[in-house]
Amino acid sequence: MINHLKIERKEVNTPTVSSLYFRWDRKVKPGQFVMVWVPGFGEVPMSISSIGDLKCITVKAYGDSTRKLIRLKEGDFIHLRGPYGRPFSEPEGDILLIGGGSGMASLRTLIGPRATGIIASRTSDELLFSEEFEKEKRIEVTEDGIRGLKGLVLMGLDQVNVEDYSCIYVCGPEKMLKAVYERIRGHKVRAEFSLERSMKCGIGICDSCSINGYQVCVDGPTFSIEELGEMTEFGTTKLLSSGRRVQI
Amino acid sequence: MVSLAVRVGGINLENPAILASGILDENGYTMKRVLEEGAGAVVTKSIGVDERNGYYPPVVVEGNSYLINAMGLPNPGIENYGEEIKIASNGRKPIIGSIFASGVDDFLRLGTSMEDFGVSAVELNLSCPHVRGFGSEVGSDPVLVRDIVKTLKGSLKIPVWSKLSPNVSSILDIAEAAVESDALVLINTVRAMAIDAETRMPVLSNAYGGMSGEAIKPVGLRCVYEVKKELNVDIIGVGGISNYTDALEYIMAGASSFQIGTAVIKSGRGVFKKITEDLEVYMNNNSIERLSQLVGVAIR
Repeated sequence: MINHLKIERKEVNTPTVSSLYFRWDRKVKPGQFVMVWVPGFGEVPMSISSIGDLKCITVKAYGDSTRKLIRLKEGDFIHLRGPYGRPFSEPEGDILLIGGGSGMASLRTLIGPRATGIIASRTSDELLFSEEFEKEKRIEVTEDGIRGLKGLVLMGLDQVNVEDYSCIYVCGPEKMLKAVYERIRGHKVRAEFSLERSMKCGIGICDSCSINGYQVCVDGPTFSIEELGEMTEFGTTKLLSSGRRVQI
Repeated sequence: MVSLAVRVGGINLENPAILASGILDENGYTMKRVLEEGAGAVVTKSIGVDERNGYYPPVVVEGNSYLINAMGLPNPGIENYGEEIKIASNGRKPIIGSIFASGVDDFLRLGTSMEDFGVSAVELNLSCPHVRGFGSEVGSDPVLVRDIVKTLKGSLKIPVWSKLSPNVSSILDIAEAAVESDALVLINTVRAMAIDAETRMPVLSNAYGGMSGEAIKPVGLRCVYEVKKELNVDIIGVGGISNYTDALEYIMAGASSFQIGTAVIKSGRGVFKKITEDLEVYMNNNSIERLSQLVGVAIR
């Protein structure tokens, strides 16, 4: 079932990232995603980055479909199916959100007065949704160091006591997820990670996005730190489009 | 004493519910999990000589009672597949290696590799409806089919299953050509497409695909019945099975065992366990000790 939805508002977030807002009468929970069809170009999984009256997808241009998508204007239509995937658990109390690159898009729906954010990116102009956190709850980390701390995401983690939070939510490149996992493992804190793998069907049958026999599209994309602990493929191997297993 | 165990196509299964080729069977860990969660056996994704990425998405279109897919035979290539079989074999149940090729020589090479990897049987994909030069283009030529089956039967020690296409004018002609197989697997998907009226475009990137799911069950039942009525060959039924009644219908039409694919979307990997448990209840209630007692009982 393909939904055809009019873009009500477009927002340019960074030089390479824009958000498209649309009205969609569906209940979506934090962490879920949709498959966005760009006719003639392809279909891509995208997390939903706003779940209020207006829903939103946040697009980073990296391939044919997303380059086409990011050029759409208000009044144009997007075509999508979903929502899919297991959402993050309901946040309660103080939470910590750790987003690398465009990973913050899938965490954005968890941002609130009790959320602290570690927002990491390669360059300072790529920091995403940082301004949506309360000023004193924003920890920016960039590799160029023009804004925030200079370094990698773990440097941001040095600034907080992870056990102060009821739950830590993490999204970004898998190497980053693995680094965060290694750092917080063993601490007394719940944590959930949103995984990104090469996804084709979105409905749990094609085996493209699988990790240790779990389908990221239906069993995930969110997994608890305990679940990741049992996955030998986490942070080590992934499947190419052909299904060939390669090192990450 | 009721037993779900069956012998079909030259192998023994502890239960008759097999994972169909193309669904959740590209990598070893997934196959292992599907076996652990209740399937009696798994058939691998179809593996070819060379690595293929398949088509770019959209590769599936979902309707209420059907799915149309055009994955485009993605696979890591036979040379990279031994490792996956090795991982899957920790599931300790039969693995059937599905292979596709355009001619006899490549089929033999693939079958030989699969045998070396330790699979319990090979399933010849003579029926994928959406890739030029492979699948049903091979499988609709009875002379070629006879040649492929004869060659593989003559060279391999493991059983040879042939998966046939419903997209032919006479399924019986092709079944006769493949009758030396240890089992016929009926049916592959029905050639189909989806058009999106809003954008005036075919939805699948390949335009054409294969339809599976509940909607094709009547077609599958007809093929199984038509073939079993005429030929003395083991049949494995596949096409739209989502509950135990569907499975019984296939068995009564002449199937000794059955495969499940699309039902995984709605019911998850647990569908195998659910169907076999329900079958067991049915057998107890109807004093059926072995499913073999029901094979073909509907044939008139």
